[in-house]
Amino acid sequence: MIENSFNRRGFLKVLGWGGATVALSGCGNTSVEDGKEFVTSYVQTADYIIPSIGTYFNSTCAQCDAGCGIMGRVREGRVLKLEGNPKSSINNGKMCGLGQAGVQAHYNPDRIREPLLRNGDKGEAITWEKALGLINEKVGGVKAENIAFLTGGISGHVKALLKNYLDALGSGHHYVYEAVAPSIMRAANKKAYGTEMPRLRLDKAKVIVSFGADFLGAWISPVHFSQQYARFRKADNGERGVLVQVESKMTLTGANADRWLAIRPGTEGILALGLINALAAAGLSVPEDVAAVVREYTTDRVSKDTGVSTEHIGRLVALLKERSPSLVIAGSAAEGYAHGSQNATAIALLNQVLGNVGKTVEAPSSIPFPQMAPATGNRFALQSLNDNMAQDKVKVLFSYGVNPVFTAPASMKLKENLKKVPFKVVFAHYMDETALEADLVLPLNSALEDWATVMPEYVAEGAQLNIQQPLMEKLYPGTLGVGDILLALLKQRRPDEYKGYEDFYSYLRSAMVSNKGALGGSATDDDTFWDATLSHGVVKLAGTPVNMSGNPSAKGLVVPGPFTEDSAYPFHLIPAVSASLRDGRNANEPWLQESPDPLTTIVWDSWVEMHPKTAAKLGVVEGDIVEVASKSGAIKAQVYVFTGIHPDVISVPLGNGHEALGRYAKGVGVNAFKILDSVFDKETGELAMHETRVKVSKAGQRVVIVKDEGPAGGNQMGRKIAVRMSSNKVNLSEEV
Amino acid sequence: MSMLSRRQSNCLLGELLTMYCFLRFSILLVGLIFSAGSYAVNAAQPLTTADDLGPKVEQPIEFPHDRHAGDAAKGGMQINCMYCHTYARRSIVAGIPPLQKCIGCHQNIESVRETPRIKKLFEYWEAKKAVPWKKVHDLPDFVRFNHERHIQRFVFAQNKPVQEACGYCHGDVKTMTVARRQKPLSMGWCVSCHQKDHPVDATSTKTTHGPNDCWQCHK
Repeated sequence: MIENSFNRRGFLKVLGWGGATVALSGCGNTSVEDGKEFVTSYVQTADYIIPSIGTYFNSTCAQCDAGCGIMGRVREGRVLKLEGNPKSSINNGKMCGLGQAGVQAHYNPDRIREPLLRNGDKGEAITWEKALGLINEKVGGVKAENIAFLTGGISGHVKALLKNYLDALGSGHHYVYEAVAPSIMRAANKKAYGTEMPRLRLDKAKVIVSFGADFLGAWISPVHFSQQYARFRKADNGERGVLVQVESKMTLTGANADRWLAIRPGTEGILALGLINALAAAGLSVPEDVAAVVREYTTDRVSKDTGVSTEHIGRLVALLKERSPSLVIAGSAAEGYAHGSQNATAIALLNQVLGNVGKTVEAPSSIPFPQMAPATGNRFALQSLNDNMAQDKVKVLFSYGVNPVFTAPASMKLKENLKKVPFKVVFAHYMDETALEADLVLPLNSALEDWATVMPEYVAEGAQLNIQQPLMEKLYPGTLGVGDILLALLKQRRPDEYKGYEDFYSYLRSAMVSNKGALGGSATDDDTFWDATLSHGVVKLAGTPVNMSGNPSAKGLVVPGPFTEDSAYPFHLIPAVSASLRDGRNANEPWLQESPDPLTTIVWDSWVEMHPKTAAKLGVVEGDIVEVASKSGAIKAQVYVFTGIHPDVISVPLGNGHEALGRYAKGVGVNAFKILDSVFDKETGELAMHETRVKVSKAGQRVVIVKDEGPAGGNQMGRKIAVRMSSNKVNLSEEV
Repeated sequence: MSMLSRRQSNCLLGELLTMYCFLRFSILLVGLIFSAGSYAVNAAQPLTTADDLGPKVEQPIEFPHDRHAGDAAKGGMQINCMYCHTYARRSIVAGIPPLQKCIGCHQNIESVRETPRIKKLFEYWEAKKAVPWKKVHDLPDFVRFNHERHIQRFVFAQNKPVQEACGYCHGDVKTMTVARRQKPLSMGWCVSCHQKDHPVDATSTKTTHGPNDCWQCHK
C-alpha cells in the first residue's frame, strides 16, 4: 500500500539505496551465466593455444583492393581484432579504419547462410549438391560463348582457377569490373610511362602536386601512401616536403595539404600545361614539340580558364623549379571527364618535363606468375557485358565480388538487361541489390574464413603474393569459399585433373608447395615451407623492374577548353569516394557508418556538399533537403555547407543509398551512382564520373544534420581560436 | 557497501520490497540494514566456509571428479587438478581441457572403455566435436578474476597443496562428481580473503594481504 503522501523526491531517495543494492547483487545476476552458458573447449589444439590469451595469425585484408597484410587476434577460436602485418611491405604493420571493420563483415548478422534458389519472389534454401548440379546442368545446356563471368578485381590462385574453369567451358568471357577504379589513369600511364601502375615515391619527393588524388583517403593503396607521406613530411634530412592539392572538392588529402587550390572542374589538364609553359619560361629545359604545344597556355589564359589566380600559379612554378625531385599525381578528380585521358596525359607530361620519371615515379616489378597477376577492372567491361545482355547473348551469368545493380548508373538500364539473362548465379556475402536479381545465390565464406592468395595491383617493393587464410572456423556450415566453389565446378568439367584435390585448401597447398623454388622455399622441405608461408602471411617474389619510357612527348595531346555553362543544369556533380564506404560494398558495417566523415563529420547518411556562396544563391542553409537532378535521375539529401568546394560544384558521397544489402545499409542515405550521366572518356570509353551536370532545388523540409562537429560548425563556436591566415599571404616556397 | 555478500544483499533487496509498504521509514531502515550488513562481514570469515551452493548444472557427460581426483582410499586416482586444468596456472581463465587430453589416457584404459560415459566421450571424439560443457563458475562481465596469479602465488610460491589452493574458491571438488559452485564468488567474499594476513612465501614470517584496489578486478 503506497501512501499518497510519498512524493517523487522521497521515491528517488529510496531508489538510490535500492539501486546500490541491485548493483551489489550483480545487477540481478543477469550477467552471471553459470549453468547456462557453454565453455569454449577444443577437440584438439596446439600447445600455444591458451584460453583467454590471444594468438595472432596472418592473413590479408579484403575490405578494399589494396591488399594490406593483416594479423587477427584469435581467442577461444574467435577472431576479435585485426592489426597490420609488419611483414607486408604494403602496410608495414599499419592498418586503416576500413580494414578494422573487417570483423564486422565477418560477424555480420545479414550474411547469407545457405544457397538460395529463386522461387517466384523468394529464395528457397537448397543444398550445395543441388546448387552445383543445377549450375552444371545450365552451363551444359548453352553454348560456351553465352556464358559470362563478371568479377571485381581478382588475382592469385582463384583467378587461375577461374581461368581454367572458363577454359574448360570453352568460354573466354571474363568481365572484370570495378566501380571506382583509376582506369583512365592506368591507360594514360601506360601511354606515358609504358606501365599502368608505376610506383610512386612520395617519400623521395620534395614537392607533391596532386590533382585530386586522395592518396591519404581512398586512392589505390592509402595505408601505404600514408606511411610514405609521413616520411615525405619528416624526411631523414629534416626537410619537410610541400604538398599542394589541386581539386574542385576538398578530399582528406586536400585537407592535409599546405595549399589547397580550388580549380574549375575539368581544367586540371590546362593547369598542367600552363605549368609546363611557365616552367619553360622560367628556364626549365622542355623538348621542342612539348614547348610548341604548351606555348599558348600563358599564365593569364590558364588563370582565366582554371580559376586559379596568376599569383598562385607563379608560386607553384617557383616551388616546382626550386625543389626537385617533385611528384605530380593525377587522381580521380582529374580523370573523371570526357577528356580525362587528356588531363591525365597532360599531368604525366608535367611529371616527365620535371624529370621525375626514375626518381619519384619508379618502375614496378614484373610478376613472375602472370596467370596470378591482378586482373584490374574497369567500367568498359561492364558496358560490354551490358550490351551483350541487351542483345540476348548471355544465357548464364556468374557474378562474384561486384554489385553492378547498385553501382551502375540508372541510364545503363543494367537491371532491366539482367532480366533477359535466363540463369544468373551470384556469389555473395549479403543479399545485395545484384543478389536480389539472381536465380541462384551462392553464399560465400567471409574473408576471415576463407583461403586465397592475393596479388595486389600496387606493391611497394618487388612482387608479393599475399596469403589469405581462415582466422577461425566458419560461422555458418552452409557457406563456401569462392575457391572451393570454383574447384567443385572444375571437377564437373575436368574430373581427371582435379579429383585429387579434396578442397581448395589442398589445391592451394599443393600448387604452392610444388612451386616452392620460385616462392623462396627451395632449401626447405614442404611442410616447413608451407608453415613458414602461412606464418608470414606474405611471400616475397623475385621480380625484375619493368622497362619504363621517360621521354616526354606531347604528340596528339589536345586538352579542350573549360566547360561551357549549362543554364538548365548549372552545377557539376562530384560523386565523392569516402575512405570508409568506397563503392558501397562495406555499407553494412555499422562501424563505418558511425565513424564520422573526416571533413564534414556527418554520420549514417548522405549529404549534398556545397560552397556557402552556392548555398546563398540557392537560398538554402545546412540541413535543408534539396533535390539534385541530373538528366538521368534525381536524389534528395540534406545540404551541408562547406568552404572546401568550388562554387560551381556540388558533391554527394558514394556508398550509401542501398535498397538491400543488410539492416545497417538499407534505406540509409541516397545512391549518387544512379544519377550519373552516360558520358564516357573519349579514349578509353570509361564512364566519366565527374561529367554529370545537375540542378539543385529546395525540396521543402529541413532536418538537423547528425554530425560530430559542434552546432556552430567549423568556426570553433564562433571564436577564432586557431591562428588564421589567408592563403594568399602564405608563400610556401619561402617558408621551406 | 562492498562488504555485502550476494546472499546478504539479496536479503537486503527482499527487505527493500517489504519496506515499500513502510515508505516513511524506508531511508532509516535501509541505512540500518546496510550498516548491519557491513558489520556482519567485518567479523572475520574463515577461508573455506561461507558456503553458497550454486545451481545444479546438467553436463553432457557426468564427469566424475571424485574418481579422477579423489583420495586413493576412496577409489580416486589422486590426479593433480592442474594435470587437466592446465591453463589455470598460465591464463586468467582455467579453461576446459581439450578432448584430446581425455582421449590421451582413455584410449589406453580398456577396463572402462565400454562404460556409457566413456562411450559417449569417444562418440564426441570420433565426430571431432567439442563436448559442450556448461559453465559452473561464472563471474559478472565487469569482474576479472585471474587464475594464474592465485595459482602462482599459492601453489608455486607458497607450496600449498593444489587441492587446497583450488579449493578456496571451488570447494572440495575431489568429493564431487559433476562440479557445483560451493562459494558465493561475490565481491564481499573475495574481499574477506584479501583482507586477511597471509605469509609472503612458504618460509617467511612476513605477512601481507591481498590487493584491495578496485582496479585489480574491475578493469
